[in-house]
Order: sequence, then structure tokens, then C-alpha cells
Amino acid sequence: MKLLIFPLCSLLLVLTVEQGTSEENSTEETSKGQSLIATGSSPEETSRVTPLRWSSDGDITMKGPHDLHQLVLTSHEGDGKKDVTAIAGFSVEPSGIVTVSPTGLIRVIGNGSATITAEFAGSLLSRAVKVNQADEQLPISFPNEIVPIFTRHGCNGGGCHGKAEGQNGFKLSLLGYEPQDDHGYLVQEGLGRRIFRASPTHSLILLKASGELPHQGGSRLARSSDDYKTIVRWIRQGLPYGSDGDSPVTRISIEPRERLTRAKAVQQLRVVAHFSDGSSKDVTRIAQYEANDEEMAIVSDRGLVAMQERTGSTSVMIRFQEHVGVFRATIPLGVPVDNLPSSDNLVDQHIFTKLRTLGLPPSSLSDDSTFLRRATIDIAGRLPTLDETDKFLADTDPEKRTLKIDQLLASTDYADYFAGKWAAILRNKRTSAHHARGSFAFHSWIRNSLHHNVPYNSFVRQFVAASGEVGNNPPVIWYRTVKDSKEQLQDVAQIFLGQRLQCAQCHHHPYEKWSQDDYYGFEAFFSKVGRKPGAQPGEEVIFNKIGVASAKNPRSGRALPPKPLGGKELRLAQHHDPRDSLADWMTNEDNPFFARMLVNRYWKHFFGRGIVDPEDDMRVTNPPTHPELLDALAQSFVESGYDLKGLVRTICNSTTYQLSSDPNEFNLDDRQNYSRFYPRRLPAEILLDGINTVTNAKEKFSGQPQGIRAVQLPDDQFTKESYFLSVFGRPDMNSACECERADDVNLAQALHLVNSTNIRNKLASDNARAALLVKNTEFSDEARISELYRRAFSRTPGPEELNVGIRYLNRKRTPADPSTLSEEAKKKQRSPEAIAREPYEDLIWALLNTKEFLFNH
Amino acid sequence: MLTIAAQKGQAFCDGMTRRGFLKIGTLGLGGASLPQILRAESKTQLKPLDHKAVIMIFLAGGPPHQDMWDLKTEAPSEVRGEFNPIKTNVPGIEICELFPQMATMMDKFSIIRSMVGAGGGHDAVQCLTGRKPQGPQPPGGWPSIGSVLSKLSGQTRPGVPSFLGLSPKCKHDQWGDPGQSGFLGPSHAAFSPFRGGGKKDMVLKDISIERLADRKALLNSFDNFRREVDHSGAMEGLDTFTEQAFGVLTSSRLARALDLSKEDPKVIERYGKGTEKLTADGPWKRLDQFLMARRLVEAGARCVTLGFSRWDWHGGNFKRAREDFPLLDQGITALVEDLHNRGMDKDVSVIVWGEFGRTPKINKDAGRDHWPKVSTALLAGGGMNHGQVIGSTTRDGGEANSRPVEFPEVFSTLYHCLGVDARRTTVNDLSGRPRFLVESEHAPIPELVG
Repeated sequence: MKLLIFPLCSLLLVLTVEQGTSEENSTEETSKGQSLIATGSSPEETSRVTPLRWSSDGDITMKGPHDLHQLVLTSHEGDGKKDVTAIAGFSVEPSGIVTVSPTGLIRVIGNGSATITAEFAGSLLSRAVKVNQADEQLPISFPNEIVPIFTRHGCNGGGCHGKAEGQNGFKLSLLGYEPQDDHGYLVQEGLGRRIFRASPTHSLILLKASGELPHQGGSRLARSSDDYKTIVRWIRQGLPYGSDGDSPVTRISIEPRERLTRAKAVQQLRVVAHFSDGSSKDVTRIAQYEANDEEMAIVSDRGLVAMQERTGSTSVMIRFQEHVGVFRATIPLGVPVDNLPSSDNLVDQHIFTKLRTLGLPPSSLSDDSTFLRRATIDIAGRLPTLDETDKFLADTDPEKRTLKIDQLLASTDYADYFAGKWAAILRNKRTSAHHARGSFAFHSWIRNSLHHNVPYNSFVRQFVAASGEVGNNPPVIWYRTVKDSKEQLQDVAQIFLGQRLQCAQCHHHPYEKWSQDDYYGFEAFFSKVGRKPGAQPGEEVIFNKIGVASAKNPRSGRALPPKPLGGKELRLAQHHDPRDSLADWMTNEDNPFFARMLVNRYWKHFFGRGIVDPEDDMRVTNPPTHPELLDALAQSFVESGYDLKGLVRTICNSTTYQLSSDPNEFNLDDRQNYSRFYPRRLPAEILLDGINTVTNAKEKFSGQPQGIRAVQLPDDQFTKESYFLSVFGRPDMNSACECERADDVNLAQALHLVNSTNIRNKLASDNARAALLVKNTEFSDEARISELYRRAFSRTPGPEELNVGIRYLNRKRTPADPSTLSEEAKKKQRSPEAIAREPYEDLIWALLNTKEFLFNH
Repeated sequence: MLTIAAQKGQAFCDGMTRRGFLKIGTLGLGGASLPQILRAESKTQLKPLDHKAVIMIFLAGGPPHQDMWDLKTEAPSEVRGEFNPIKTNVPGIEICELFPQMATMMDKFSIIRSMVGAGGGHDAVQCLTGRKPQGPQPPGGWPSIGSVLSKLSGQTRPGVPSFLGLSPKCKHDQWGDPGQSGFLGPSHAAFSPFRGGGKKDMVLKDISIERLADRKALLNSFDNFRREVDHSGAMEGLDTFTEQAFGVLTSSRLARALDLSKEDPKVIERYGKGTEKLTADGPWKRLDQFLMARRLVEAGARCVTLGFSRWDWHGGNFKRAREDFPLLDQGITALVEDLHNRGMDKDVSVIVWGEFGRTPKINKDAGRDHWPKVSTALLAGGGMNHGQVIGSTTRDGGEANSRPVEFPEVFSTLYHCLGVDARRTTVNDLSGRPRFLVESEHAPIPELVG
């Protein structure tokens, strides 16, 4: 009995699902009725007088009974644009061809031509639509229509069936990048148990996905959804993969691509897939959406973006097959911005334009003390000396900031600081005692290059295509730490091109266009790096092996010749070093990655946040906050002949860089528009050096000259050696990413600053600042406190701060009433010198523990 | 910044409801204001335990599995060893006579006799991360379980680090390894009071408490830089941690947890003292660190690792065993008994193991040499099924005879007991690639958690 009823019921279900409209769709589509307005006016006439616009022009052509088309309707109001898709009324004339849902989705009813008219606030806009083949079941393409469904619902994600070994026995290719494999998994694997052709809705795949059978992943596909119905149709059609004649998708486009909008506003998106034969198809309902910052905007699976309360710029990532696109939204605050000085600085032009657009007034210009401290830390990696501070504050030259920047850039301190920065990501590691000569030489080579301002393109070429041995060509050391050709390609791509290719080693990059072929084609550049023993133990000679450069893609088994990212495969002679060709391509002025990566890295150095952030992850789906600025900086950098010091000058001379970190009443929440300076904790080395200068202490590092500053240390060894440096996050140089440097704060740091013997010794030694101050009896307490302030903060103390200091000194010098002392304190006899010194030690200790000292602000 | 929510997103496709993690900001406390934190601290009650935790006891050097919990009475004399087995309170399970206390409460322990996949080197990597020390490493290295918990869940309470390592700094550095933070970075490193500057910094010794108070008052009046200007949370975090540092130096939860004078003398006596002297180039034999571990977990730590003695007995195996086995017996039984007495046994997992086992054949110096082929692990608490032996070894104790267990399976089990589905949870490495905590072929050990 049961057996008999079961198939019948399912048959009914199939019919209902296929022919009826789902609940969701029926409410959506019938609520407005079929004929709303018939205007009689022609499309040309209406568009001339209305402020309404469609997101794309031209007639709409739809094919087959299941084709969908998302309308996006914009109302132009003054300068602004507003998405009115969901609040406009739509009517169709004649009826029986298509319906338009209140959200602007067109569905097919029958063949023929019709006119869709939108009405909003008294304005009308029409558009012709033509439907063909409405009565035919068009063959479904598995890669273009079925696989995107799995991606969209997370089935083939890395946490589920997309994992290398699948989930509970069922595997799909990660994010559907291998549709051929997926077809096999679904149709053939497990003796075809996942599909039930006789009764499609009883296919295991659908019973699981819809939650009718227990599914660890829960209910993912509603039976009433279009996606569910598409799979049912595909099964009924006999599980086609699609024919060889099917055109692949070459790109997707997003409508609109960007929008200046408002908090709490919405924006409907339309996504179109373009095929290699020139045709296109609306894929709004099968694309996948992901918001980059859900505090600013969220997005539904139908491509409806809802802005939140926060103002600024944000983006939504759209994925279809291996193609990705981005929608950018800017949500202005809308306050009049009238405090912007005129500036011919490149940085300011772009930053100010954006601030005006956003209506976000910037903070005021920083004072001289703040500027001096900030620029000296960021350019020279140290605090200003007492002398520098005094001179700079007294200087009345209006050009003194520009002059100071030049002075700092010319000093060797600049080279010291930036050499450390580069040494870390170039992984200047010393893993054995034999490595010291190499790591010291490499550091020194970097430092010299920076000091002499070797053009960046030539700096990179010398090192990427380095051959020889450390004695005559120190950059070969990079090949010592970064041994494997995969690591080499990954590091080069990440450091110099901002492309993180690691993902593409095992599968298509999930957020980028890079395939495994791109990865191994890039690896081929490093396939001929030869090594033989060098002059001294632990050293090597790097040379170019004779032979054909190639790397094998393990999936296809194909040996790939060298291929630049996004470029064509290169055929190189056997004796040719492919790394030379790589350097040619990288440093070509048209390279889309090279200059942009560098300017973005330097931008982050000075502003604490990249225009693209993280700075070395410049993928399509991680868009810049200021794309025009990034392009302009890159262009100017190329035009300058890759002048690194020139770039620093451009950045540091900008008003933007010199803004105060103090917020005004509007920009406290700003984190990406540079309306004020964003403070950040001093890096480990600068902090240690800074403490040493203020306390007049010297650091000892093994094998290094006495008094060397931490910022000058050449390799990773000293992080292990110094508890201070490791606890404050100096990197171990394990990675090509600057993110390895920790800049946060933790309890161990706080304890070390507050209570370590290390810091105590710096404060209390006989040569320490406190002792020196006390020894010099000519100075008043005021003068001494002022000196400390100028040393620590590059500013003079305010009257109240002076008072606090003097009150403290006086109180501590007054012998305490014995009755108030603890037994322990009574036991400790203090010398007169200690009595004089100790209050100063306390004072210095307090200054060193303030946020004003510990931060660059 | 204050998020009190279960993890969301597509990483978990199984729809499992999972314990929501209490996470306060990325800095542990960055999001809450200082008064809020202090209020939170004063209101927080210590009992009952409202989080899950793991205590890992590392037997540095590789303990002799066949002399402890897998006696080979039928093996030839050059293998058998000097000790006799005794019965335990679980019928059928026998262990070495030098663990008499454990024998009376075997129902609260499980023994894995067939750990396989150890490396040959003297390091704690596989015990702390579940990853092979010699295998491919992501840049920065694999993070240890404590760092992962710190990353995933943050601190349970202000003032107590999520992850603590009680090991001292040893001459052979890996034997005092509290567990590296690997690619998760120093923010999630173990707080190690007995290594480096950690412990020294925690004890006020150079200046008096009055002077510290003076300094603090002075700092408060100088430190008027507005912390709101910083959105990274670092400034606010700094204030919080500075405040905590003062707390540690005067009297706070962390200091209290490490200060055993606050403990019931009877309990202290039950744990015993052991010795603070370092065992050659290995860790010490302190028994009070077992008690500290419990107190730290009670105070809010999620992971406490500790090293106990040095087990690299190439010579004098039996002589040293007679010294160390009874101490270990006392330490772990005191700990497990204490956890049960306090109702913490369901929430706190305990694991005892070393980097590898020892050779079946006794060498000329009455020692046993390195033997990575098979080793042993002892588990307790964590809500696991106890009173069982998992796996067995061959007649000479040289190889796994049945049910070989890999290190990552133990990690999968520990994470499971901590409320984390390790095979579906990821943390991002330095290149932004999500890494599963444990690869998916390593399910939690069904005998223990089934």
C-alpha cells in the first residue's frame, strides 16, 4: 500500500513544484496585480521628462520559460541617485508575456513583446521586453546553472563538501572550480545513489539539501526556491553536463558598480554573466554575495544591499563561478566641510575630495611637537633628540616641516629603520652560526640601497634575479632562507605584487581570478635556480641552471612554461635566466601590481592602514578605499623613476599626514578616510630605543657594537635574545607579511614596563637620567621636568603638569612622618642621594608608562 | 566590541549548536571600559566553573611507557623491567606497582597504550600542537592548543590570561616549552610566569608597594592622553593591562591563583611539594604546580601546560623511576581527585604524556633509549568515559598491537571536550589561509567521547 502511494504523491509534488508558483513568489507577484498604469506615452517621451533611469540600456530579451531578469531603477534627484527598484510601481502591457515582482524581478509567462513601465513619484519610465522560446525546455548547463547553486548555498565551501576529503563521504570541488569533477561526484559516484531520475524530488541530493532527510548542514534549499526547481529540471532533463558548444563565462558585470548613498538606504544589484560568444545572461539570483564590513552594509542572497548606520565606504563582493566583482557604496556623513586648506599635494587632493564627498570635516593640523615626533618616528625610527626638539620648536621658518622631512630622509637613521622593515619581510634569518656573515651582509646591502635611494625597480631586480654568492652579491641570501621555489613565487608575489597566491597551489583562488595554471606558470620563473656550495660553510652560490624553465600543475599534469600573472606564456632560451624575464615584467611601468603594491605598503607605514588593507592582499575582492589616490600615487612613483624617498616626501608633506589625531565632533568614528591621524603603539625596537634615550641607558646585543640601537639590528636573532623585543612583538622574520609584527598590547608587556628589573635598572643606574638630572644642580626642578617632557614627548609641559611634577618631588623629599610608615619602609635606610634621585626615577617611570609616550600619535 | 555570541558564518556547515564564546573585544578586554572591567571582576564568582579547560602535563624526555602503565610481564627479562603490576579498582586493568594511588582511582583515568606517530626528536611539538615537528609548517609555525583557545575564545575573565605555561626555562629549551603561539603571534602566546621576564615581572621586589602606589598615582595624573582617539583598541587595552599589571603586583586573581598560601593546608598537603630544583637540563619536579594549574583554571584559564621532571633515562631507568613515579602518582591523583571533589571533572580535561616512548630492550646502563614507534598517554576529566585502556602493544611493548592512536586524534578529543569541533573550526595563518585545528581524518576518539 505504502509503495503504491509513495510514487503518486511524489508525482504530484513534482507537478506542483514545477508548474505552480511558490508561496514566496506568488505573494511577491500577485500583490500588485497585473495592470497598474497604462500611460500611453512612448518610452522616449517619458525618459526625457523623468529623473528615472534603468541600470542598463536597451531592450530586454529573455529566453525560455525560466529566464529571470532583475530590474534596477534609479531616481536621479539633483546630484544624488536613489535606488527606487523596490518602491516603484511596475506595470506590464500587454499582459501574458512577463510579470514584474515588486522587487523588480521579471519572470516569463509567454512568448511575445511587452512594455514594462515603472512609476515613481509621478515619473514614468518604460522599457521593451521580448520573450522567445517560452514554451520550450531549454537544456540546462551544469557548470553555468547548477554548480553556482552549490556555491551560493555554501555546499561546496571549504568547511563542508568542498574540503579536500569532502564531508561524510560526499565531495564537491571547492567553490565549484572543477565542474567536470562535480558532475561525476553527483551523477556517477556512489553508484548514482545521489540522484533518483524516476522521481527527481526523491533524489538524495535534494532530500538532504532541503532538510527532508537528516543533513548535518541543515536545510539549505527551500522546496519552493528557484534553485531547488532548477535542480529538479536538470534531473528531469537527464543530468546533462552541457554541450561542447556551450560558451564559457568570460566575465561578470555588476550594476551599479558604485553608488553614493545614505545610511539605512538600500540598493538592488544586478549581476550579468558575459559569455565568450558575446551573449549574456542575468545571474542576479544565482550569484553569491558577501559584504566586506557588516557594520556598514549587509547584503541578501538576492543582491539587495542594505546600508547600516555607519558612514564611510564599503563594498560587497559578488562571485559567480570563478569570476568575482565588487559593488562599492559610499555613505556620506553630510556635514559641510569648509576647513580644508588648498593643497597641491597629490595625497591631499584625493583625500580632501573624498572628505568633501563624505561630508566629513577633518581634524586640525597637528602642532609642531606632534609633527616632529611623528615624522621622526615614522621616517627615522626614533624619537627626536632634545636638541632637535628645541631647535625645531624655536625655528620660525614656515618651511621648517618640509626641511625636517628632507633632513630625516638624508640621515642614516632613515636607512636603518627601513632596512629593518625590509629585512623582516625578506626574511633575513640566521638559523645557524654560519649564517651571520650572510645576514649581516644582506641587511647592510638593503640599508645601503635605501640610503643611496637606489630606484625601487632596480633594488627589486637585483634581488629577485640575484645570482652569485654572498661575498660579491649579498641579495642571494634571500634564496638561503626562502629555499623552495613555491615559497619563492609566493613571497615575490606577496611582497612585490600584493598577490597572495598560496591558495592557488591546490585549487583555484577563492577570491581572485588566479587558477592553478597561473600559480605553476609563475613558479616556473624559479624553476632553474641552481645552488652549489659557497666560499664558506653554510653558504651557497646561486646560479641559473641551463634547461627549459617549467613547473608542473599537479592537477592537469601539464608542465607549464613561465607565465606572468595575467600575461602570456613565455618561451625562453635554455641559457636564459627566467628570473630576468620576471624582473622585466615586474618592473615594466605598465605592470598593474608593482608600483601600486609599493605605494600601498609605504602608505600603510605612515598611516597605519593601507589604501588596500591588508596592504599586501590587493585582490579584486579587497578594494581600495581611495582607488584614484592609489593609482595617482603609483603613477607618480613610476614617473619619479621609482624614487622611494620622493614617495616619503609626498606623503609626509601632505596636510593629511600632518593632521592631528584629536578628533572633532564628527570624525571620532573615522577609520579609513584619514580625516585625522590614527595613533598606533610604537614598534618594539623604537620603544626600546626611546626608553633608552629618555633614561640614558644603553642596550647590549651579542656580537653587536655597544650602544647599537634596536632599530639597527640586522636579523631575527635578537628577537630571541631580548625579552623586551619579543614581548613587544618584533617579528621572527618567518613570513613575507608585515602582519607578523604584533602591534597590540598585552599583560606581559604592561608588567614588563611597570615592574621589570630591566626597566628598573635603566631608571636607577648611576648613569641614568635621574642621576644626571640631580647631579646638575644648576637646573631648577621646572627646567628638569621640562627637559624630561621634551625628551619623551617633544613638547614642554603645561602648567598643571609642571605643578603635578613639582608637588610630587617636594612631597617625596619631605621626610615622611615615621608614624605613617610601614615597618618595612622604616627598615630601609635611604641615602641622601637616593632621596634626591628616587622622585625623578618615579617621574620618568610615569612618563614612560603614559599613552602619550607609548604611542605614535 | 563586546560580543557575546556563538560563532557564525559558513565555516560551520553542520548547524551544530555550540557553546557561545564569551569574547570581549580583540584584545580580550579592549571593548569594555575600565570601570566596567573592574566591576566585572568584583562581581565574578569563581564557582561553579563556567568554562572548559585543559591541563597538559608534559613528561619531558619521553617516559618509559612499558614501566608505567603497560607492564610486559611476559616479555623476556632484557625487556621486562624490574617492576610488578598491581590490580586497580577497574577489573582487568593493571599498572605499575609504583602508582598505588592511581590504582585506587583507575575508574577516573583512561590509558592510551598505543600512541603512534611521534617524531624522533626531543621536542614537545606533537604534544602541544598535534602536528608533526618534522612535517611542513605554515610560516610562523603551528600554534599550540593554548594559543588556539586564546585566539578562538579570548579571556574568560579580566586579569587572567587564557593560556598559561608553568614550565620553567630549561637548558634544553624545548623541555620547558609552554606551547608556541606559531602563526597566531605573540598576542596569543602563553603567559609563562616561570620563564624569561614573566615571573620576575610579576613580583614586586625592587621597589616598595608604597612607592608603586605613588608611581601609579603620578601616572594617573600625567596620563591624560585621550584614549578614545585610538580605534584599534590598543590604547584602551593598554590602560586595562596597565591596571591589571598593578593588580598582579598588589593582589589580583592571577597572583592569588599562583599564591598557594590561600589554599586549604590539607589540600596543599595532598598535592605535596616536590622540588623546585631543575632536573639537569629538564623541568623541575614541583608538585605544587599541579595545584597551581587547578587554581589557574578555576580563576579562568583555558589551558595550562606544565612540565614535570626529565624522563630521558638512557641510564638508571629503574632507579629514577623509583624516585619519579611516586611523585607523579601523587601529583596527578591529587589533581584529578581535587577536580572531582570540586565538580570540575566534567569541564577540565587532563592529559599526561611525553614526546615518545622508550626502547623495549634495556641497555647496558640499565636505561632505555628513544622509541618513537609507540608511547603512552593518560587522560582524565573532561567528561570523557574513563576506567578503560585504549589500544595495546606487542609482547615486548615495541609496537602498537591494536588500535593505534595518532596525536591529532587526541587533540580532536581534547577540543571536543573543550566544546570545539576541531575538524570544522579554522584559524587563519599569516597568509590569510584558513587552517583547520585538526585535519578532518582525525575524529575524536570514540571510546572516550562516544
